[in-house]
Amino acid sequence: MSKETASPSLLTAVKELPGNVWKSIFRNPLPTNDLERSSTSFTNFFLHIHPVKVHKNTLRPLYTLGLGLVSFFLFVILVITGILLMFYYVPSTTQAYDRMLDLRGSVAFGTILRNMHRWSAHGMVAVVVMHLCRVFLTGSYKKPREFNWVLGVVLLLLTLLMSFTGYLLPWDQLAFWAITVGTAIAGYAPVIGKDIQFLLMGGSTVGQEALLRFYVLHVAVLPAVLTMAIAIHFWRIRKDGGLSRPADADPTPPMEMMAAMTDPKPSLLEGKKTYGLQGLVRGPLTKVNNIPDNTVFSWPNLFMSELFVFVMTLAVILVLALLFNAPLEEPVNVMHPPNPAKAPWYFLGLQEMVSYSAFWGGIGVPGIFVGLLLLTPYLDRSPKGVGVWFSKDRLLANTIFLTFLLANVIFVIIGTFFRGPNWAFVTPW
Amino acid sequence: MAVSRRRMLAWITGTGLVGSGVLSAVSNFVFIKPRATYGQPQRFSIGKPDDFPAGTRIALEARRICVVREGNKLAALSTTCTHLGCIVGLADTGFACPCHGSRFDSDGTVTGGPAPRALPWYKITLAPNGEIEVDKDTEITPGSYLTL
Repeated sequence: MSKETASPSLLTAVKELPGNVWKSIFRNPLPTNDLERSSTSFTNFFLHIHPVKVHKNTLRPLYTLGLGLVSFFLFVILVITGILLMFYYVPSTTQAYDRMLDLRGSVAFGTILRNMHRWSAHGMVAVVVMHLCRVFLTGSYKKPREFNWVLGVVLLLLTLLMSFTGYLLPWDQLAFWAITVGTAIAGYAPVIGKDIQFLLMGGSTVGQEALLRFYVLHVAVLPAVLTMAIAIHFWRIRKDGGLSRPADADPTPPMEMMAAMTDPKPSLLEGKKTYGLQGLVRGPLTKVNNIPDNTVFSWPNLFMSELFVFVMTLAVILVLALLFNAPLEEPVNVMHPPNPAKAPWYFLGLQEMVSYSAFWGGIGVPGIFVGLLLLTPYLDRSPKGVGVWFSKDRLLANTIFLTFLLANVIFVIIGTFFRGPNWAFVTPW
Repeated sequence: MAVSRRRMLAWITGTGLVGSGVLSAVSNFVFIKPRATYGQPQRFSIGKPDDFPAGTRIALEARRICVVREGNKLAALSTTCTHLGCIVGLADTGFACPCHGSRFDSDGTVTGGPAPRALPWYKITLAPNGEIEVDKDTEITPGSYLTL
């Protein structure tokens, strides 16, 4: 009797095992109603950075262009490919170059992984700059997003530093001389320039100590700092009420509903304190009784959009990795610098300016530009012009910004294509 | 004005904690800045005077210096370009940097190109053992030769 009873129970447990395990991991079924759609963001660790509902304006492709997402996905690709490359790389001046050759000739998928890492790095610099432009030109740095803008500028600087420290690791002629030039530009800073240079290079010239320090910064220090900064950046987006949107993006609630809400009925229980609903939440208006707004559930709208952006980003990187190889020139030869020696492309604007004036080109103008960027939301405090590309209310700010940006782009182009031996002008055609 | 005991304790504790934090941060930077470097020493011997007969003008590329001897006078100039750190080469009229076209005359003075400063001259001494020592950490006025 007992034997017969135990047997079916055990069999039942075994039969139900997969289902029970599955349900303990994925605690919510695929959503089929609004309640389940709401639960998705609440209960999933990876999704709970997302809001339950998202504004339709946020999902407009032409508003954000998805640039912030692309930057983040490129960072993820860089971390993964970077960790894989770390299995083979040695930060030694006598071995680094040979390891790069081994990646090319001996390691399975070595070439494509290095290519992915290289183009993701360059791509991330470019996309982060574009993201900054998008945020500025849509006026999205205004209250309450001032500090998030500052965080964004810091992230741009960290990205540049990340790319710069990685540039040296192949230890070929391109890497060595680009970093020699780049660190020399840092040396132009008054008073502390030489100390910064010394700290960065661990000595007087680019060599073994510099390679080791750049490696440590590139694979340990900067990724940790960058990850923390990104997390805070994302968190502030959520706390600031999501992405910015124009004032007319939300429908105006009917006047009678507003009147009803702002005039609460006196409480039947005398003596109790009466609270206005507005005092309970931050914001101009409390949503009650399903006032119409332009939001949709994040599942599936937002998640599908993000998945699309990720797939597109990965596809582009893979295509670039298959079509173009990361450069690897001759091993370092200290006695024979290339003519001309050029800094990494994103610093070529600086190098071009340095050839006109050492201090102003290398430190003065960039310092002013970064300083203005950091101060922007605290200088331009008018609430107008938010959420609209090239708003007329922000004509002056946009003009100044685009002037600086265009000047830098022109300098980079001149430095890249129009400077030849002895830094003389040449025509590339 | 009376300050409460609690506030005083709070200030002392806070100052202590912040002070510890600052001290810790400074210690980190002191740790990272090397007190000795593994690279090329900045003070080294380059040989005996006989190795550099009169009229010598030779670049010791590994040391990034150029040794010049005129008569019984000796000098060592830097061959690191003051523009962006490239290594300059000897030219008929002095030095030329292949990276960005800076040009210097025989004394290291800038004669063309984007370099902002002249090539530095380094201190030279004659060691008791008869060898010539160069100290790259000490720059001297251009034109200051060591008389042998």
